[in-house]
Amino acid sequence: MSFVPGQPVTAVVERVEIQKLRQGENLILGFSIGGGIDQDPGQNPFSEDKSDKGIYVTRISPKGPADLAGLKIGDKIMQVNGWDMTMVTHDQARKKLTKKKEDVVRLLVTRKSLEEAVKHSKGCYPKP
Amino acid sequence: MPAEVKQEQSPSNATSLAMMQEPQEVVEETVTIEEDPGTPTSHVSVVTSDDGTTRRTETKVTKMVKTVTTRTVRQVPLGPDGLPLPEGTSPLGSYTDSIDRRYLKNGSDRFITPQATSTLTRSYNNSYNDSYGETPESQYIRHYGLHDGYADLTDNYGSLSRGVNYRPPRYPYMPNSYRPENSYTLPIRKDDYGHVAQPQVPMGSSTVDLNRSQPERFQPEPYGLEDDRRSLGPEEEEPYELEPDYSTANRRTLPGANRGRTHREPLRDGPRVRGYPDDPIEAELIDERHPYIHGMYSAPLAQPERGSMASLDRMGGRRSPSIDSIRKDPRWRDPDLPEVIAMLGHPIDPVKSNAAAYLQHLCYENDKIKKDVRQLKGIPVLVGLLDHPKSEVHRKACGALRNISYGKDNDNKVAIKNCDGIPALIRLLRKTNDMEVRELITGTLWNLSSYEPLKMVIINHGLQTLTNEVIIPHSGWEHEPNEDSKPRDAEWTTVFKNTSGCLRNVSSDGAEARRRLRECEGLVDALLHALQSAVGKKDMDNKSVENCVCIMRNLSYHVHKEVPGAEKYQDPSALQAPGSAGPQRKKKDDAGCFGGKKAKGRKNGENDKSYDTLDLPKRTEPSKGFELLYQPEVVRLYLSLLTESQNYNTLEAAAGALQNLSAGQWTWSNYIRATVRKEKGLPILVELLRSDSDKVVRAVAIALRNLSIDRRNKDLIGSYAMRDLVSNLPSGQQRPAKNLEEDTVVAILNTIHEIVTDSSENARSLIQAQAIEKLVAINRTSQSARETKAASHVLQTVWSYKELRNALTKDGWNKSHFQPTVTATPKATKNGKPGYDDTTLPLMEKNQDGYSTIDQRDKDCKYKTGDGSVDLTEREPLKNDTNRKHYIRSNRPAVSLVDACDVKPQPVDSWV
Repeated sequence: MSFVPGQPVTAVVERVEIQKLRQGENLILGFSIGGGIDQDPGQNPFSEDKSDKGIYVTRISPKGPADLAGLKIGDKIMQVNGWDMTMVTHDQARKKLTKKKEDVVRLLVTRKSLEEAVKHSKGCYPKP
Repeated sequence: MPAEVKQEQSPSNATSLAMMQEPQEVVEETVTIEEDPGTPTSHVSVVTSDDGTTRRTETKVTKMVKTVTTRTVRQVPLGPDGLPLPEGTSPLGSYTDSIDRRYLKNGSDRFITPQATSTLTRSYNNSYNDSYGETPESQYIRHYGLHDGYADLTDNYGSLSRGVNYRPPRYPYMPNSYRPENSYTLPIRKDDYGHVAQPQVPMGSSTVDLNRSQPERFQPEPYGLEDDRRSLGPEEEEPYELEPDYSTANRRTLPGANRGRTHREPLRDGPRVRGYPDDPIEAELIDERHPYIHGMYSAPLAQPERGSMASLDRMGGRRSPSIDSIRKDPRWRDPDLPEVIAMLGHPIDPVKSNAAAYLQHLCYENDKIKKDVRQLKGIPVLVGLLDHPKSEVHRKACGALRNISYGKDNDNKVAIKNCDGIPALIRLLRKTNDMEVRELITGTLWNLSSYEPLKMVIINHGLQTLTNEVIIPHSGWEHEPNEDSKPRDAEWTTVFKNTSGCLRNVSSDGAEARRRLRECEGLVDALLHALQSAVGKKDMDNKSVENCVCIMRNLSYHVHKEVPGAEKYQDPSALQAPGSAGPQRKKKDDAGCFGGKKAKGRKNGENDKSYDTLDLPKRTEPSKGFELLYQPEVVRLYLSLLTESQNYNTLEAAAGALQNLSAGQWTWSNYIRATVRKEKGLPILVELLRSDSDKVVRAVAIALRNLSIDRRNKDLIGSYAMRDLVSNLPSGQQRPAKNLEEDTVVAILNTIHEIVTDSSENARSLIQAQAIEKLVAINRTSQSARETKAASHVLQTVWSYKELRNALTKDGWNKSHFQPTVTATPKATKNGKPGYDDTTLPLMEKNQDGYSTIDQRDKDCKYKTGDGSVDLTEREPLKNDTNRKHYIRSNRPAVSLVDACDVKPQPVDSWV
C-alpha cells in the first residue's frame, strides 16, 4: 500500500459502516487508530511500507461497534465519511471519527487480506 | 553477493558453518570498462566473493553522438542562386567540402589538397566562427595560396566539380562572400554540398547564420580529443574525411604519393578531378610545394590533425550520403585497413597521426574492425607510436588504442599487453602533461583492467605510477601537509575517474593484488582523503567516488587475515566458548540494552564516554597506509556515504566495506562493530533496508549480520531492524513490492537467522513482525531451494524456543509449519545449525551503549568525516539525521511493541 504523494492510488477497499455506540456522554466506535502524517511511520506494525503515514486500526474492542461492523485490526482507513485519511495528522483523523453530530461513520478501508484476495483471484502464489 | 558467498550464507550447508563463523566478507568489485567518453561504455561489475569466484556483468552504454545534427543540413539547395556553377568553382568546391566534413567524404573533392588544407585550417579553428574570426576570405586566400602552388589544381577542381556532379553551386549555402571566390562552387553532389556548404560557411564569414547554427551543433566535436572520442559515434563516416586528409598529405608530401597514394583511388581522383595532374605533375607540384608544404603543413598539420578529426566527427552524421557519393564515383575509395595500418608507419608524422585517428574512428563500436586491426598487426605499431615524441602522434595512437581496448574481445586487450603496451602507456603517462593524453592513457588502462589476466600486469607496471601521477595529486592528499595551507579538496577529473576505475578493477584480483594496493605508498591515504573531501563537499554521487569506495571495500576484504601483523590482533575471546564470554556479555546487557530501554538518554551518554575511553585503542602515532582501512574512524566516513549518497553502487560499496570490516575475529573488527553502533550507524543501515536497490539491500543485510556478531548489536538489530528485514521478504501471495533477487532474499533470511539465534527475544520480535506467515510461505512454496532452506532454518530456530510455542500455537501455527518441507534436505539443515551457533558467539563485550549511544551530543556531528575520533560539531547535520533520531527514539516504543521489551505503548494511539 505504498503510494506516491500526488499520484492516484489504487487500492482494494471495503466500505464499513459503523453505528456509534453511546457510552455515557460519549459516542464510541470501539476501535483505536494509529498513524498519521505527524507520526513516525516506522513504528506502525501494520503497514507494509514503513514510510506509510496513513491511519491504521490498531485495536478493536471485542463486540464493540467496529467489531460488529467488520473492521479488523490492521485495516488502513482511507476515508471517513468521504474525507481523505491518507494525508492527515493523527489528531485530524481522530476528530473526523469522533464528531458528536454524527451517529454513523462510513469508512473506506483497505487491508492486506483484501489485496491478497484480489491477487489470489488473479492467480498467484498459493497461500500457505 | 557472489555465489560463493551465498552458499556460505545458507545455513544448511556444512560450509555454512564456516561461513557463519566468519561472517562473510564480500569483496565486490565493480569493474568498469571505460572507453572514450563518446563511446559506449561497458560497465563490468565483477563480484568476487573470495579471490576465487568472480561474476561479471557487462553493460554497455552508448552515449549519444552529436554529429547527427549535421545531417539535417545536407540537402540544402545548392544554389539559391540556382547556380549550377560547375565552372570555376572548383576551388570553392573544395572549400565547401572541407567545410563539411561530411561532404568531404562524399565529394571526391576532399581529395583535393586544397580542400584538405582548408579542412585543416578549419579544424584548427574549431570554434569555427571565432577562429575564423578572420574573414573567410582570408581562409580562402590561404587555400588559394596553397592552390597556387597547385595552380593547376584550381582548374582541375573545376573539372572535378563538373565531372562529379553538376550541382548547383553550394553558394546558396555559402554566404555570399564565398560566392565570389567560390562561386566557383563546385558542383559537388548536392547532398554533399548541402552539408558541406553550411559547415563551411561558419568558417567563412559570409554565412553567419548558417555557420552559427551549425557550429553549435558541431562545437562539441571541435575539441580535439573529444572529437576523437566522439568520432566514435560518427565512426564510420569519419573515415572518409580522414582519407581526404591523408590523401592530401600523401600527395603533397610524398611526391610518390607513397603507398597511400598508390593504393588509394582517391589519389586517382585527385589527379583527375582536382587537376592533380598525373603523377609527374604531382611530383612537380610536390617539389615545388615542399616549401609550402612545410610551411603549410606544419601549421595545418599541427592543428590539422584535430581538424581532420573534427571534420570526421561532423561527417559522421552524414555518412550515408558520402557513401553514396563514393559509390557513385568509382574513382574514389577509402583506404582499406591494411593501407591505414601501413600509414601508421609513414615517415610523415601527420600521416601517422591521421592514420591513427582514422583507426580510432573505424574501431569505434566496431568489433570486427578491432579484430582486423589486431590481425593485421596494427596494435604493435600503435603501441610503438606511444613513444613518439610528437604529441599529436602519441595522442592519436593512444586514442586508437583506447577504442581498440574497449569491448568484450579480450584478445585485443591481450594483444596490447603482448607488445608491452602497458609499460608503454605508463611511460607515456609519466612523460606527458597533456591532460587529454592522460585521459586517453588512463582510459585505455581502465579498459585493459577489466580483463582478469591483465590486472596483475597493470599492478606490476603501473600501480605506483598511477598512484603518484594521478591518484595522489588529484585527491588533494599531501604527504606532509603544509600546516599553513588548508587541506586541498579532491578534483574529480576524468583522469582521476579513469585511474580510480582502473585501480578498482585491479583491486579485485585476489589477495596478492589487494596486498600490493594496500602497500602502495600513499594510495589508501589518498583515497581516504578524496572520499573525505567528497563527504565534506557533499559531492558523493559521482563515478570517482564510487570507484574510490569500491577500492576501499575491496581492500578491506580479509584485512584481518591478510594485513601484516594481523595475528597480533586476533581476538582470543573469539576462540573461547560462548560460555566464557557470558559474563562480559551480561555486563553489557545490563548496562546497555535493558538499561537503554528504561533509562533515558542520559545514561547512554555515560555509556558513550566509557566506551570512548575504554574501547578505542590508544595510538601513539597517526596511522597511515593500509592501517587506515580498518581504523574505527573510517566508520564515520562510510556512514556518511551511506547517509548521503544517491548512487546505489556507492551505497552498496560503503555497506560492503562495513560488512568486510565487521567480519572476522580480530580486535579491529570488534572496534568497528562497536563504532558502527556508537556512531548510530545501525539505524542508517536499517533505513537502507528500504532501498529500492536490490544490491544495496543485500549488502546492508549482510553487514547487519556481521555486525550482530556483537551481542549488543544483535539485540538492537533484533529490536529495530526486524520489521524492515521482514518487509523485504516476499509474502506468500505476492512477490515483494520490490522484486528482490534470490540472493537478497537468502541474505536477509540468513541475517534473520543470525539475529534470532541465541536470542528468544529477537525470535519474539520476529513473530511480532508477522514474519512467520512469510517464512512458512517461502518454506513451502518458494521456487528457490536456497530460499527454502534458509527460511526453514529460521523456522526451526524459532520453534526451538519452547517459550514461544504457546504464542505460535495461538496464532494457528503448529509444529509442521516449522519443519523443513519435504523437498528441503533435512540433513543440511541439521548440519547448518551448529554452524550458526558458532557464529553467534558474542565477540564484543566492551560496548555498552546500544542505540542509546545516540546521545544527543553526537547527533549532529557524528558523521563528520574528520579523522579524529572526536565528534566534530561543525559537521552539518546529515539530512537524514533528524529522521534518524526521530526514528531511533520513537522506535523504542516500537521495540516494546515488538515485545522484546515489555513496553507497549505506541506513541499515539487513540480510541475513538
